[in-house]
Amino acid sequence: MAGVIKGVLSEELENSLRMKKGYEENLKRLPKGCLAKRKIRGHEYFYLVKREGRKIKYAYLGKISQEKKEEYEKAKVSRAKYRKLLSQVKKQIRFLRSSLRGKQAV
Amino acid sequence: MENKQFNLCLEVLRRFHKIGLLEHVILIGSWCTYFYRDYFEGGSYQFSLITRDIDFLIAHPSRLNQKVDLPELLKDLGFIPAFKGAEGYMKLDHPELILEFLVPEKGRGIDKPFPLPKLNMNAVTLRFLNFLSCNVIKVKVENFTVTLPHPANFALHKLIISQRRIKEDKAVKDRNAALGVLKTLIAMGRKDEIRSVFQSVPPGWQKKILDSLKGMQETEIMDFLKD
Repeated sequence: MAGVIKGVLSEELENSLRMKKGYEENLKRLPKGCLAKRKIRGHEYFYLVKREGRKIKYAYLGKISQEKKEEYEKAKVSRAKYRKLLSQVKKQIRFLRSSLRGKQAV
Repeated sequence: MENKQFNLCLEVLRRFHKIGLLEHVILIGSWCTYFYRDYFEGGSYQFSLITRDIDFLIAHPSRLNQKVDLPELLKDLGFIPAFKGAEGYMKLDHPELILEFLVPEKGRGIDKPFPLPKLNMNAVTLRFLNFLSCNVIKVKVENFTVTLPHPANFALHKLIISQRRIKEDKAVKDRNAALGVLKTLIAMGRKDEIRSVFQSVPPGWQKKILDSLKGMQETEIMDFLKD
């Protein structure tokens, strides 16, 4: 039975590693940063806020189209989703690795 | 089993039911043992080791009559389409479940995915799947029913494929799952159902089943199958 459980755990670990890679690739493909809106004299202007190392950088975009706004909004939602999935899968990887280690003779 | 995982499985089934897909699919693989527990009404049945892979068999893909974008349908639950191998076998990945479709292999078989354009998915073709779809049971879950292979077919199918496994641990897992179901059926006095399913398969398959049982030294089951 121990061999069966070890086999299942190894397969699950493989699956989790595959998922992790997929989520990371999808995250990389998303446009970086979030939009920040500033209202100056009744006009809306946008900045792209992104992290560069430990610093937060604001890049001026000016007035942007509705499509561009939606694109960034979609990316924000997707990023949150992938981050959540990535965090879940990373937890599983830690658990599976430790369980598999536990099966070996100490 | 984690509640999260079971709740997600239920939500997938609910959505399949809502779009009318549930009547076209048979839940196979380790997940159907979970639902056998309800079919056996508790009793002494202990469901086998369940993995994240949840497999749905589509016995008649040409009968799918409704177009549904399945990846889109399950997207908000966190399922992401993943492509395996150079051939691009599709799965829907979620940290709690991995959803895959299977269709029976016909003729010489194909070494590429079987397209399911109505679902915007593809499926893996496998041998012996007709054996699971030819005798099914329905289990009531909430306000819908899930179709599962008859436990006798499920168990004997596991014994057949365990002979074809390359990895020994997988073969052992198959045999354990089969034995759990067979012993429950026997305890319920339903030996005849097992025997009748056994007698319906070709001699080559019968030999594979007996070889698996022999490997587990289950002479009692072997004896009544041979009767």
